[in-house]
Amino acid sequence: MWFTNQDPHLDRHFFLLAVIIYGISTIYSVFLWRKGFRQDNWINYFLLLVAFGLHTAAIMLRGFDLKHCPVNNLYEATTFIAWTIVAAYLAFGLWARLRFLGAFASPVLFAMGVFALMPELDRHAATPQFSGAPTSLHAALALLAFGAFGLAAVAGVMFLTQEHNLKFHKMRAMLSLLPPIQKLEVITGRLVLAGFALLTVSLALGGDIAEKENKPLFNDPKVPWAILLWAIYLGLLVSRWRFAQSGRRFAVGVIAVFAFLALTFWGTTLLSPLHHP
Amino acid sequence: MIVVLGLSHHTSPVELRERFAFGEARVPAVLQLLRDEGIADEAVILSTCNRVELYVSTPLESAKAFEELKQFLVKCHNYRDPLTDEIYTLNEPQSVYHLFKVACGLDSMVLGETEILGQLKKAYDLALQHRHTGPRLNKAFQRAFNVAKHVRTETSIQRGSISVGSVAVELAEKIFSSLENRHVMVIGAGDTSEKTARALLSRGARSIVVANRSFDRAQALAAEFGGRAVNFDDWSNEFGQVDIVISSTAAPHHILTRAKLEPLMKLRKNRPLLLVDIAVPRDIDPEVNIMPNVYLYNIDDLQAIAEDYLQQRKEEIARCEKIIIEKAKPLVGNIGANLPGTTVSVPCPVFRDSKSKGSA
Repeated sequence: MWFTNQDPHLDRHFFLLAVIIYGISTIYSVFLWRKGFRQDNWINYFLLLVAFGLHTAAIMLRGFDLKHCPVNNLYEATTFIAWTIVAAYLAFGLWARLRFLGAFASPVLFAMGVFALMPELDRHAATPQFSGAPTSLHAALALLAFGAFGLAAVAGVMFLTQEHNLKFHKMRAMLSLLPPIQKLEVITGRLVLAGFALLTVSLALGGDIAEKENKPLFNDPKVPWAILLWAIYLGLLVSRWRFAQSGRRFAVGVIAVFAFLALTFWGTTLLSPLHHP
Repeated sequence: MIVVLGLSHHTSPVELRERFAFGEARVPAVLQLLRDEGIADEAVILSTCNRVELYVSTPLESAKAFEELKQFLVKCHNYRDPLTDEIYTLNEPQSVYHLFKVACGLDSMVLGETEILGQLKKAYDLALQHRHTGPRLNKAFQRAFNVAKHVRTETSIQRGSISVGSVAVELAEKIFSSLENRHVMVIGAGDTSEKTARALLSRGARSIVVANRSFDRAQALAAEFGGRAVNFDDWSNEFGQVDIVISSTAAPHHILTRAKLEPLMKLRKNRPLLLVDIAVPRDIDPEVNIMPNVYLYNIDDLQAIAEDYLQQRKEEIARCEKIIIEKAKPLVGNIGANLPGTTVSVPCPVFRDSKSKGSA
């Protein structure tokens, strides 16, 4: 069959190519940002379509190689989430008014791709890392929460872009296809709230699993990291709704916290005996 | 052969145009007369604030047709003063191109406006109803409407706002999720602020509060908008509720400063505030724009946006003309693939509502 994986790393090569195209799309997106998203852009859509093809091939090769759904370790989970994001974008992008979202999607996809390709994340353990219903649910909810935080950060960047253009009376603000800033503010807040709820459930499940399996929780660096993250997001939400923090500060906070999450996620995972046995 | 004879804002002042205007009730009789006198086989009269044009399919040779049509127009209006270049004449294919340009808003005073298309359709329907059109004009007008639709979807000739009022509305739409249920405050009841408030109301804004030094004037304006008037000294009490403020007082100093606005913003809890300052000298201290959730635009900012949009529309003219030439080919063939060298002059785009009556 055409998809027989002769080279054991062929799927990773395909994924690497996809990430390179995500990178090219990210660079191209900078130009779109500078132009202020005046119109839908087919070039970026086409780049992401090509990358999607390579990405799909990578996932299929891995799936046929394993003979089951290829979501067993962090590499596979990350590539799968990135694949769903690009697939969703390509579907939304069929609508001309939403095609500009590619300029926001490609940096996220590129960052996720680079993260997935980091060493040690693609280990083939004897048993899948995400086995058993509670563990799988814990991992799925955590990944969904991080996805929501990521989307909130993207909405936050959109908000800051449009808010800056409106404040400084740039024509880009009028020509841009970005939604109204009040809507972006609401979306950012709701995504953080959704991510926070998912993370809360995920952490509670994780604690429960560790307790049942008699595993020490607080010796694991990932646990205080996750609690710290949870507390920071709680702080953001409280400052927003209790103390009427401005949309700009909230957006900056959401972006900064997600940057911290993205930069420390890989390191804490590698250091965690619970998550990287 | 289709010919056009007329006068427009390009060639004549309003004082002359109004002398030649046709009331709608009179048009069928005039069209009948045109045909009875043998000048036209088919005819449509377009009469708006900015143009009076006769679109005629004539059996006469063009020079003779123009002479007869001019005399007919003069006679119709009992006009006795001398005429020089006020009346223009266009022969095929320029007449067809002109019809298409008019339909697309390329010949309008407010470049790219859409009201003219409605007026043109109305003029054509009137002629059609009274059976004064035939195969040539039917085909030309139907195609003109089709071209106008095509130009509207394929180019940006109608994109953006080119009046202060509509720019303010567009700004509000960039800030607020929806204009529905937004509260608007007008401080100082000037003409432009009135137009701006009206434009906001037409897009769904809920209520208007008017504050003016003359309370009677405030009450009159508020009644017109279905809003309410407040004493001029009490306008700041409303800041907890309002989302958009349009200020145009004659005050010689800033009536709204950062020090005054800061405590008022605390009442608003994260809600953005759009301040439109169209007064000269300005009513609102520019420093308030530094504050979070405050978006301040003065008259120059709004005019700059309107002019940018207008520039963009002008840049679209070449694309529109290309479409017109292409679409006119089945009617006029390939001859004279140049559009009439009239027409796009746009005197003062700002302070003119693109949707206001008579912009065509």
